Amino acid sequence: MSQRGLIVVHLIVLACLVGCSRHGTDDVLKLALQTEPSTLDPAFSADFASGRVSSLIHSNLVAFDPDGKIVPDLAWRWEVSNDARSYLFHLREARFSNGRRVVAGDVVYSFQRLLDPATASPRWWLLAAVRGASAFHERSGARSRVAVSADDDSTVAIVLEAPVAHFASLLAMPAAGVVCREEVERLGAQYGRTPCGSGPWKLAAWRESDEMDLVPNAGAPGPAPGIAGISIRIIPEPMTQIAEFETGNLDVLEVPRAELEHWKTAGVNLLSREELRVAYIGLNTRRPPFKDVRVRQAVNMAVDIEKIIARVLFGGGSRARGVVPPSLRGSPEPAERYPYDPARARELITEAGYPNGLDIEIWQRENPEGGRVLESIQGYLAAVGVRAKLVTREWGAFKEAVDKGTPDSFYLDWYADYPDAENFLVPLFHSSNIGGKGNRTGYSNARVDSLLDAAGRMTDAGRRWELYRAAEEIVYGDAPWLFLWFPVQYEVCSPRLTGYRIPVIFNGQRYIDVGLR
Amino acid sequence: MKTFIARRLLLLLPILWGVATLTFFLMYVVPGDPVRTIAGERYDERTLAAMRAELGLDRPLVIQYVHFLGGLARFDLGRSFVTRRPVAEAIRERFPKTLVLALSAMFIAIVLGVFIGALAAWGRVPGLSRILMTFSLVGVSIPVFWLGLLLIYLFAIKLSILPPSGYGGGSIRNLVLPAFTLSFASMATIARITRSGFLDALGEDYVRTARAKGLGERAVMGKHVMRNALIPVVTIVGADFGSYLSGAVLTESIFGWPGLGRFIVQAILKRDFPVIQGAVLFMATTFILVNLAVDISYGFIDPRVRSGGGER
Repeated sequence: MSQRGLIVVHLIVLACLVGCSRHGTDDVLKLALQTEPSTLDPAFSADFASGRVSSLIHSNLVAFDPDGKIVPDLAWRWEVSNDARSYLFHLREARFSNGRRVVAGDVVYSFQRLLDPATASPRWWLLAAVRGASAFHERSGARSRVAVSADDDSTVAIVLEAPVAHFASLLAMPAAGVVCREEVERLGAQYGRTPCGSGPWKLAAWRESDEMDLVPNAGAPGPAPGIAGISIRIIPEPMTQIAEFETGNLDVLEVPRAELEHWKTAGVNLLSREELRVAYIGLNTRRPPFKDVRVRQAVNMAVDIEKIIARVLFGGGSRARGVVPPSLRGSPEPAERYPYDPARARELITEAGYPNGLDIEIWQRENPEGGRVLESIQGYLAAVGVRAKLVTREWGAFKEAVDKGTPDSFYLDWYADYPDAENFLVPLFHSSNIGGKGNRTGYSNARVDSLLDAAGRMTDAGRRWELYRAAEEIVYGDAPWLFLWFPVQYEVCSPRLTGYRIPVIFNGQRYIDVGLR
Repeated sequence: MKTFIARRLLLLLPILWGVATLTFFLMYVVPGDPVRTIAGERYDERTLAAMRAELGLDRPLVIQYVHFLGGLARFDLGRSFVTRRPVAEAIRERFPKTLVLALSAMFIAIVLGVFIGALAAWGRVPGLSRILMTFSLVGVSIPVFWLGLLLIYLFAIKLSILPPSGYGGGSIRNLVLPAFTLSFASMATIARITRSGFLDALGEDYVRTARAKGLGERAVMGKHVMRNALIPVVTIVGADFGSYLSGAVLTESIFGWPGLGRFIVQAILKRDFPVIQGAVLFMATTFILVNLAVDISYGFIDPRVRSGGGER
């Protein structure tokens, strides 16, 4: 055969190989994640992807539903004492994925493990309110003094140091997942690769950087899922995810905002939900120029946020007047204090002692959308004499600098760990949380601190919100941020998917109620 | 020859020590704290200190360095800070996938590149040479990222004959698009070099002689021209092997290919020191061994190389 003939034959063979069978649809839900979970060990699930998948595999005492409401998980009911310090959880029948029954002792073990200084979990703080927990974590108290106990195999008692209104929400966070003691002890550091929980799903296979396969865990508490399994592909590129969705290989796709227009008109099932997230530019209140409240207020008046939302975010957000997202509020947001008013902004800056304008740096992490946002903000600021230089750093370096208060200002957002106003106001503005704990602007106001402290001890939701509202009102006036927006998340679903809702909190969708046609 | 190989292999040790030392200290010079990256967005300094102690990052740098070298001597690359998995295990799992991708791309680049180059040099079809060379110019300059997305759009979405991305359990269908994407720039280079090699050879006396003695076109091109024109191609392919490995970084990200390139990028972003050190060291070793193999293969292709250096 001639060489040319050979090539033709090869091409035909290749075409046959690639042309044959596309895999058909089955009743496995196909999802994608942009970043791979680092671990599925609850104690180390500090990032979004890890927490999300870990929550499918582990059960907690209580869980979030897609609306962020607390629902039963291992505990089918619980009682809170009148002084709001003692909790009694009654467990229901459940089994780990290795078949062993879950007993109250497993909850005690998991919580002690999370608190154990030897574990070195970055998320131990969620149990910090438990009596004896902080002492144990700081090696000044014994393990046995931690007030989490198993009265019998199906009852867990927890006593708090002081009332914490959102304690149930803390227990629903991924890090409070209940692990199987013998597997943790057998696997050690490898537990995060082959976890053993009593959640609705069991990890059947994990091909790194490729795909995770989940199958139903027969022993999970509560109703069994209506689908045969979940496949989670790891696809780093959003454009590739879109291609996979368009070819029918994904059932849910998170729509990048830049693609929103296309999907709005594409005739597909487009879902949207306001995220429990706030985007802001933090202003370093510890030193000039942002030490002066007038300069902080001025930058808030200098930027037309509504226009940036429309032009740069393609409408994917609502302007933040304040800090707490609308869905967590007990009352409307604060009245407008910072209308777009460049002339007034300029006056304030002059009053503050900068008649010739000023130079600042805005730090950001690498992120294309952030780049476009900041360039437009840079333009607005220049118009009132604030010459902003944009500094881009990779995530780890960015966080280190911001935690230490190096930059004048920084662009960042805050995702809720649990749906509660406390989760926005306390970490971000309480002076005890300055630095890596969340308050990265160094904001400190004694009145705000005392309002937040009082609210934290209050169990009446209405009165508690009044205190949070008062604190937020002060923060809004003090302007430690250039307040930006509450982003909206958009997702599209395949036509075969039913019963799916975007969860308000990242681990609030466990795919029990979804179906595939 | 044997002493040549032995000497080169012996040289490997100091080079690897240099690479290891450089990567180790580079990690600590560049900004970015691994513990802060792992810890999420809400932590206190004490928690960070505990995590640092757990990962051994609280010890003096020199001790850490000695510990690191000691591990290397026992072929122990340590554990990932992020996943807590042994680095060697992860490399063992991923490298074959990158290798398959790189070798397939290399194969496509050589076969198509030589074919296009030869066709362009042949010059019997008017205008074809110009079209092919324009094509190869585009090939050299086209960004991998854009090409990958274009191919996904065309073959996966429009024609639906190939899956858009993923490893597919090692299916050849999943390999086609990433391999082709990765091969593209190299293919274009090879085509240009082949063409000029062919054109040079076509002007040689022995070709005129071959034609004069009445040999057919296929025999002239195949036996006389091709053989001589391909020597520079071999050089390019050998020297280019590293670019396949590094090119795999982008290609693997676009196509969600679970190879070593993506692994290193993720590790760099998360400041996962043991993974970066282990993977860089591994890549360096591979690179050195491939270069050695290329040097040795010259000896077989061209006897002048073998006798030229050492004996004089």
